Amino acid sequence: MLAYIARRLASTVLVMGIVAVFVFLLLHLSPGDPAAIIAGDNATGEQIAGIRKQLGLDDALPVQFYRWLAAVLHGDLGISIFSNEPVAKLISQRIEPTLSLALMTLLIAVTLAVSFGVVAAWKVGSWVDRSLMVVSVLGFSVPVFVVGYMLIYVFSISLRWLPVQGYSPIDQGFGPWIERLILPSIALGLAYVALIARITRTSMLEVLAEDYIRTANAKGVATRSVLLKHALKNAGVPIITVIGIGVALLIGGVVITETVFNIPGVGRLVVDAISKRDYPIIQGVILIFSGVYVLVNLLVDLSYTLLDPRIRY
Amino acid sequence: MTTRRSILKGGLAAAALTSAPSIIKTQAQPSRARTVRAVMHADLRVLDPIWTTANITAYHGAMIYDTLFGLDANFAPQPQMVSKWGLSDDKLTYTFELRDGLKFSDGQAVTAADCVASVRRWAARSGSGQSMMARVKDTPVVDDRTFRIVLSEPYGLVIDSLSTISTSLCYMMRRRDAETDPNQQVRETIGSGPFLYNRDETRPGNRHVYDRNPNYVPRAEPPSGMSGGKVVKLDRVTFENIADEQTALSALQAGEIDFYEVPPQDLVDELKKDKGLTLEVLNKTGHIAFMRLNHLHPPFNNPDARRAMLHLAKQDDVMGAIFGAQSKSWQACGSFFGCGTPMTNDENTEWFKKGQDIAKAKELFQKSGYDGRPVVVLQATDHYLANPAGLFAAQWLRSAGVNVDLAAMDWGALVSRRAVKKPPAEGGWNIFSTTVTGITFSDPIAFTGQAANGEKSWFGWPSDPLQERLRDKWATAPTLEARKEIAKELQSNGWNYIPHLILGQFFRNSAWRKNVTGVLGMPEVVPFWNMEKAAAI
Repeated sequence: MLAYIARRLASTVLVMGIVAVFVFLLLHLSPGDPAAIIAGDNATGEQIAGIRKQLGLDDALPVQFYRWLAAVLHGDLGISIFSNEPVAKLISQRIEPTLSLALMTLLIAVTLAVSFGVVAAWKVGSWVDRSLMVVSVLGFSVPVFVVGYMLIYVFSISLRWLPVQGYSPIDQGFGPWIERLILPSIALGLAYVALIARITRTSMLEVLAEDYIRTANAKGVATRSVLLKHALKNAGVPIITVIGIGVALLIGGVVITETVFNIPGVGRLVVDAISKRDYPIIQGVILIFSGVYVLVNLLVDLSYTLLDPRIRY
Repeated sequence: MTTRRSILKGGLAAAALTSAPSIIKTQAQPSRARTVRAVMHADLRVLDPIWTTANITAYHGAMIYDTLFGLDANFAPQPQMVSKWGLSDDKLTYTFELRDGLKFSDGQAVTAADCVASVRRWAARSGSGQSMMARVKDTPVVDDRTFRIVLSEPYGLVIDSLSTISTSLCYMMRRRDAETDPNQQVRETIGSGPFLYNRDETRPGNRHVYDRNPNYVPRAEPPSGMSGGKVVKLDRVTFENIADEQTALSALQAGEIDFYEVPPQDLVDELKKDKGLTLEVLNKTGHIAFMRLNHLHPPFNNPDARRAMLHLAKQDDVMGAIFGAQSKSWQACGSFFGCGTPMTNDENTEWFKKGQDIAKAKELFQKSGYDGRPVVVLQATDHYLANPAGLFAAQWLRSAGVNVDLAAMDWGALVSRRAVKKPPAEGGWNIFSTTVTGITFSDPIAFTGQAANGEKSWFGWPSDPLQERLRDKWATAPTLEARKEIAKELQSNGWNYIPHLILGQFFRNSAWRKNVTGVLGMPEVVPFWNMEKAAAI
């Protein structure tokens, strides 16, 4: 087991190295020049060239890459071209809103989706099953930003129940924190609910057709017990897998949701950085996102052993 | 025994505990009722208003720095940090005396030496500053509060330049900041303006926080534009970065923000129906949309091809697509200096009065020897003007038998590519479109786009020695009336060598909550002094 974890962690470093090279090349070879954006619309070419030189952007690409990689290997993600603040500091300032949004979304999505999936499988073919699956299809089909705008219109503009936008740190009160997360979490979680609910239903249907479930039912075991203790645990491996895979969906969704609801998280940070070509921030955030994604998948793989004792590493 | 009720009680207690720090914090916070939360036209990224020409940084500058002179609401320069000033009989020596009691936010007094260093750094970056400095022999400091600008020849624009509202504005910094190489960014934010920049509460990319400067001594005169008494009636102003227009609009309607500088134009009519909001055009000179032509490469290195573009451009198309054909938010304009400005005139505008003439454009393209090579039009798909302008340019050119390569990109890529001087087929360009405020566009010296000194000039790099001589003549003219006369010559010649085409002049509304009052209208900068906020309506 430990050897497996060590191997996976080593491969994580390799994956992140490849991501680093690709991200660096992709950014620096794509059109755009932060110096031109910094200089402003009224600046001359000469002024832009001066800024480019000062920022070291006119150095050869390998030189810039070496400089950045050497810093990253020393744990330094670099300095933002625009704000002149360390990238690590900017990310750390933005991590709380993103984590709050992601965890709240996970909590809502997994709770709802697993319940929906279990109920749909239990009542397969009924109107409940069909209704839940229609909701799932809708959740998967409607883009996050459309859901976001609709929620804002209904709950913030018309009913005035919840704020339109922004984020309140948890240390400034639980109430303001949660009220600003409700709408974004629902908007972001809807697609996730759809994905997990459908997999849960399919997996549960397979398990519910097994002999041991029929035996449990024949023995008179309570339905709740059959569904949750016997069926759900055995249907768990594909569900956990899809939750892990869905983290990528979540990361992509966070970027859009944070923009629509003006949440000052890492997603917004990277969107703003892309629009102004703030290379160190984009590189730093993508590196961290890729690391998180690889680690989540490692945790998912390890969790299989808890759900299915036959699995060994 | 653990019951649901006890869990609920525990949860409420935990919530109260996590709320506690906020109660403590709010005691030190400025009153929300005296805080204006504003969404501006862009996110503030650079804090040195001399180093960059970005408008949003000029706004930041107006908050924390002050200027020697300021333009009033009628665009006339008025003393601001200066108490008295005079010009010698030979018109070569300006003497300036600073007001008493001016202090930087670090507590140090503002001295003449600070101002001289600031003027010199500004002059190294600004178009008007460079023009002025070319005639400056010396800038001696007389005493702590007095300094001089000694010219080598009379120059009528000294006071106008010091009070310019076109980026970069001439803000006064501490000497040690102002002595920073003009090509390096000043990182400090110590000024003597009406607000203090609160770095501790600022979150770059999210919110910039400005607190009232308790040590600022405003002038006694009533406020007018960038001049007069800059009396701050708020505790705090925050520039909120809400990137999504729809979200910003919803936040304004819900009262979560108080001021939205440029709400999306297509929703302005909807906003006007909201009784809780005030909508007003603050920049009465509006913005000029213009299309820049690259003079370095075919076909627009030929004057006939450029002249053909004059006959092709149809301002109604572009403005109508953005604002609606019947909207009163725009007007067609044929003046080289924009319309409604002191330099506006009617010289050499027959082509404009005649309107679009595709046959004439075809004829001129043929006359220019156009060889069928694709004209590269830069189209920034995320820019409200550069996107439709690119599409229309392509359509107009095709209707005149010109091949077009419409290069779609984002604005970040466009501002990078427009600086490329290589031929269009090798990564250069032929046409791009952008906007500038009317007041800047009307100034042949401050607006770098009016220069025609070849590869040293703004993107498009037009070269026209006569235009350069006329600009110089305009700059040294002794009176406004004389400058207006020279402006006619500039326009007459300008529409012959054609550095760019005008795509229309437009006026964008700002929107704010009804409980916000005292908003001053001004091009280029939104003043937050004089602004008041009553309890929410």
